Amino acid sequence: MLKLLPFAIATAVASGQLLANEQQNNSRFALAGYGDVKYEDSKLMDTSAFSARFVPIFLFSLSDKMHIEAETEISVDENGETEIELEYADIHYFLSDTTTFTAGKFLLPFGQYGPNQHPSWINRSAFSPGIYGGLGGHGGYQPMQGLLPVMSDIGVGIQHIIPLGKNQKIFFDVYMTNGLAAEAPHDDEEDAHDDEPVLDEHEEEVVDEHAEEEEEHEEVDAHAWELPELAFEATSADNNSNKAFGGRIAYAFLPGIEVGASYYTAKYDEKLGFTATGFDINWIGNHYIVRGEFIKTETDSFEEDEHEENKVITFDRNGWYLQATFMAGKMFNVLQGTDFVVEYAETNKINEAERWAYGINYWLDSRAVIKATYEDTTVQDGEDDKRFAIQYSYGF
Amino acid sequence: MKSIIQILLVISLSLLSAFSIYAEEKISGAEVINNNCARCHNARAVHEFSIPEWKVIMPHMREKAHLTGKETQAVLEFLELTSQSVPLAQKIAPEKIIAPDGKQLFTQFGCQGCHSLKGDGGTVGPALDETIKNKGIGFFIKKLQNPQFNNSSSPMPKMPLNEQQIKAIAEYIKS
Ligand code: HEC
Ligand code: HEC
Repeated sequence: MLKLLPFAIATAVASGQLLANEQQNNSRFALAGYGDVKYEDSKLMDTSAFSARFVPIFLFSLSDKMHIEAETEISVDENGETEIELEYADIHYFLSDTTTFTAGKFLLPFGQYGPNQHPSWINRSAFSPGIYGGLGGHGGYQPMQGLLPVMSDIGVGIQHIIPLGKNQKIFFDVYMTNGLAAEAPHDDEEDAHDDEPVLDEHEEEVVDEHAEEEEEHEEVDAHAWELPELAFEATSADNNSNKAFGGRIAYAFLPGIEVGASYYTAKYDEKLGFTATGFDINWIGNHYIVRGEFIKTETDSFEEDEHEENKVITFDRNGWYLQATFMAGKMFNVLQGTDFVVEYAETNKINEAERWAYGINYWLDSRAVIKATYEDTTVQDGEDDKRFAIQYSYGF
Repeated sequence: MKSIIQILLVISLSLLSAFSIYAEEKISGAEVINNNCARCHNARAVHEFSIPEWKVIMPHMREKAHLTGKETQAVLEFLELTSQSVPLAQKIAPEKIIAPDGKQLFTQFGCQGCHSLKGDGGTVGPALDETIKNKGIGFFIKKLQNPQFNNSSSPMPKMPLNEQQIKAIAEYIKS
């Protein structure tokens, strides 16, 4: 299936360009996207390497009401294999001036980083915020175990906007998607059920051990105390008939402030659930940007009691990050195009860690940037890490 | 059960929005840009894309930025206005060729959507009250002819204005 993707892309580009040439005034296709090159040096991993990505976005306007967007991410992994990922592919139907229906695979509106800020020409740091990533997908390996990945899933969603006068708005998003599965079990796992986790398409880069969610487990081993590992990758199958639900409600005082609250809940097994609650802020001033998110997750898992009965226990985790960008160039002419970035992130309760990040960005123009970021992570029960990266990113 | 609650929530919010007081005044595209387009990323330069491309990109941003359909339309109209060629700009107000009306141009090109004047207006650009006094009329003319000349990441669009019209705007700002 994935093999067909490059072909599909080529066809889309070609036909799009034909169309664009045909109708000069009202094209229905646009090609956009971003790409980046990154050099990263990590103390813990004892590696330094270049990596590159190319992320084309295909946009189609079918009519005033219908709009199609698709984004693919093409990258080369550590083994030299080309990876192609379908980030999103969905259709928007503009039901009214203020209501939009979305169907397909789309970025879930949870918080700000996932849906709005993760493209590298937008993110002010060369790394993802500490509470994101480390779970596959964007961010890849990182010493701090994130709470959530950038979530993209298949389903339907509705967006509604309530303008309150000229400068204030309430944003409202709800969605229903296929949801989660438990990460593929290990080989040594006995008696798998029919409804056992669907196999994941690609390897996860998560560092910690896989947990067991088997119902009939002989002994209580240490693993049972570990956080179950969840597969967030969208699949076109659902391992259970329970869909994931979620939404975000936000208040914006334009152009300066947006605050939001998000909720996501899914069953990843008959009796086991996962929920995430988040609060986010995006505060834009003349010379600065402050972004932050707090996320709390609850992951169910089975635990055996004295009578060898399974009972459901819930793992709580939370974490937050705050990132401040000082756009020095807007204050001092000699520093034109320069940003200074400071970020703090921490995760609590399980896999506790904290991280400071410092960065300098230089903008060549409004969509091309060179970022240098240094990161210092302290892990409570594990090895600390120091990382440094230089990233050149461009939107097009 | 949860989905029922969610549906109820949607309905009640739709009702709320129906009653919300959204003045039916003409929306300024420049103001929508000022209020929204630097929130997630740097505002992108108008000349990066052609108008037919912008028409396909804007619905993408409508969804991301939570713009209304009317606001999206206003942005597109503004982008179209700024991407006209200079002689066309004169056609817009043919009777004004001899003595361009600075105030009218100032309004038409949405300067105040992004800049404040006498304490009133947008904030993505600096206040214009003192610019000419501090940096000179030469700078002002150059800036309007090519907003990126001194700042390659400037989101200010290049306007289809000739020198005469720019001077008229300068006069208006100084008055
Ligand atoms: C809520 C965040 C947000 C806001 C507000 C926003 N954008 Fe974007 N914009 C994005 C993201 C995210 C992308 C990258 C697209 C992607 O990767 O899916 C993007 C990409 C773009 C692009 C590149 C082409 C494309 O479609 O990818 C242009 C041009 C653009 N935005 C213009 C605008 C304009 C004009 C506005 C104001 C009306 C605006 N943006 C407001 C988030 C936002
Ligand atoms: C879409 C928003 C936008 C619109 C519309 C806009 N500008 Fe700007 N302008 C900016 C921004 C942002 C800056 C600051 C960045 C820079 O230096 O270019 C700026 C800078 C300027 C400057 C330089 C100020 C200084 O002190 O360096 C002048 C002069 C100016 N604009 C005049 C105008 C005039 C006159 C109009 C109307 C014809 C106008 N602008 C319309 C966004 C806008």
